[in-house]
Amino acid sequence: MTEKRIYTKPTIIRHTVGVMNKYGRPPATVPMNRLVGYEVKELAAKYGSPLFVLNVQELREKYRDMTRAFKTRYPKAHIAYSYKTNYMKAVCSILHQEGAWAEVVSGFEYDIAKNLNVDGTKIIFNGPYKTRDELIRAFTEGSMVNIDNYDEMQLIEDIAEEMDKVLEVGIRVNMDLNNPPWHKFGFNMEAGHAFEAVKRAQASGKLKVVGLHIHAGTYIDDVSIYSKAAQGLVDFYTYIKAQLGVNLKYWDMGGGYASHNTLNWAWAPAEQTCPTYDQYAETICPILMNGPFSANNAPKLFIEPGRALVDEPISLITSVAAQKRLPSGARGIVLDAGMNILSSVQWYSYNFQTGQDSGFMVEDTVIYGGLCMNIDVLRQSASVPPVRRGDLLVIPHVGAYNISQSWQFIYLRPAVIAIDGGEIHVIKKAETREYVQEFEDVPDKFK
Amino acid sequence: MSGIFNSEVTISDSGFLFDHGTGLTYSLNETGQFIFTKMKEEVHANKMLELIMEEFDINEETARKDIDDFYRQLKEAGLID
Repeated sequence: MTEKRIYTKPTIIRHTVGVMNKYGRPPATVPMNRLVGYEVKELAAKYGSPLFVLNVQELREKYRDMTRAFKTRYPKAHIAYSYKTNYMKAVCSILHQEGAWAEVVSGFEYDIAKNLNVDGTKIIFNGPYKTRDELIRAFTEGSMVNIDNYDEMQLIEDIAEEMDKVLEVGIRVNMDLNNPPWHKFGFNMEAGHAFEAVKRAQASGKLKVVGLHIHAGTYIDDVSIYSKAAQGLVDFYTYIKAQLGVNLKYWDMGGGYASHNTLNWAWAPAEQTCPTYDQYAETICPILMNGPFSANNAPKLFIEPGRALVDEPISLITSVAAQKRLPSGARGIVLDAGMNILSSVQWYSYNFQTGQDSGFMVEDTVIYGGLCMNIDVLRQSASVPPVRRGDLLVIPHVGAYNISQSWQFIYLRPAVIAIDGGEIHVIKKAETREYVQEFEDVPDKFK
Repeated sequence: MSGIFNSEVTISDSGFLFDHGTGLTYSLNETGQFIFTKMKEEVHANKMLELIMEEFDINEETARKDIDDFYRQLKEAGLID
């Protein structure tokens, strides 16, 4: 008997114009049948679909690489991991094992760090809203607190009075770096507010300014923004040192470093536009090294990456629930994952790669999430080969924000597994109805 | 009309398809090309499943669903009614 031919789902695709842009053809879809050494099909069968998969080794390597890039150029540089991007306990814990400090923006996040046994002196407490109790805890435990506004400054002065000691603080500053500018956080430099804030803090007799914090924005792939921010900090430090005798123990360049995901409005794919850790470090560090300090009393430099560390090591396995032909002639597919677990579709044109061999013939496809909600569109147009119900798609680079911003809506949220050295660990179980309704109650009279 | 097709269609060995009626062009993958060629030979839908399974390494259930879906794709493209 002669050997039979390899089968792929029979497909016909209409030729259209307009699929090229000035950078050439869209990237071809590459199957991703395996993740961290495991068959995608096996993982989905065992742990369910959708399923988040963390590559532990990749996360560790990213931390080490970013640390190397900054420390070789500024020896007192240190990473404080931005908890909000993904505060799953296992993710934070792995990064703390590597030596990361914690950057938190609420009492809740602070508590996560403490629960992981992070020493208070290794926590940076940022954000525009910190309660009195949270601030007392942070100062008692020796954390770095960066003041965002005058109300907070006043509150901290009161706390200093109660604690009967001078409290060391950082001041968060902002400057015109982006369009539109980020004026929400901290005190503006150009308007003179930042100088007034430092002066006011120093003059209070209750606070001592030992830190400056700036955060240039989010997903910044233009390194010149960091060079402006770094120069801004150097100029400002030079000025407050001369005028007010401030000596910094640390300066903090914040986060905003990009990852390999293409923004919805970008022409070129992220692989071409996302700067490397070395490019960021090479932009920031030499400027700061020219700051007003002698070689032996350089302030510690903090950077607060989140997305740039956790986005790429996590993938999402999802299944095709249905496919349909739209009145426009385009193909549509519906997945079992929706924007409730992929909130970053607002920003990103994610890649959707097949989790099995599906042939090389691709068609422009609208990818819908599984929510019964019209706005649940994961991508307006992606090149996808023929798939059928039950086929798997893998979405790489989904580790930042999607899990911490996920919301329980219509469906239960999926499990998260970590693969490390050939072992699989469930680091978050899939939700159950009982879990979701745990804190609800129906009073007897409603029954 | 040209057989079961709405207008005359020409298909090349590489799976390139030209619809003379509309001027539109399409690509077919290997399996699609096989079915299309059999359709041109006026093989009936009932017989198609058997032929596919003889030719390709595939189970009956999947092939049946896929053939249905392929006919639907041809309808949506306006190539058959």
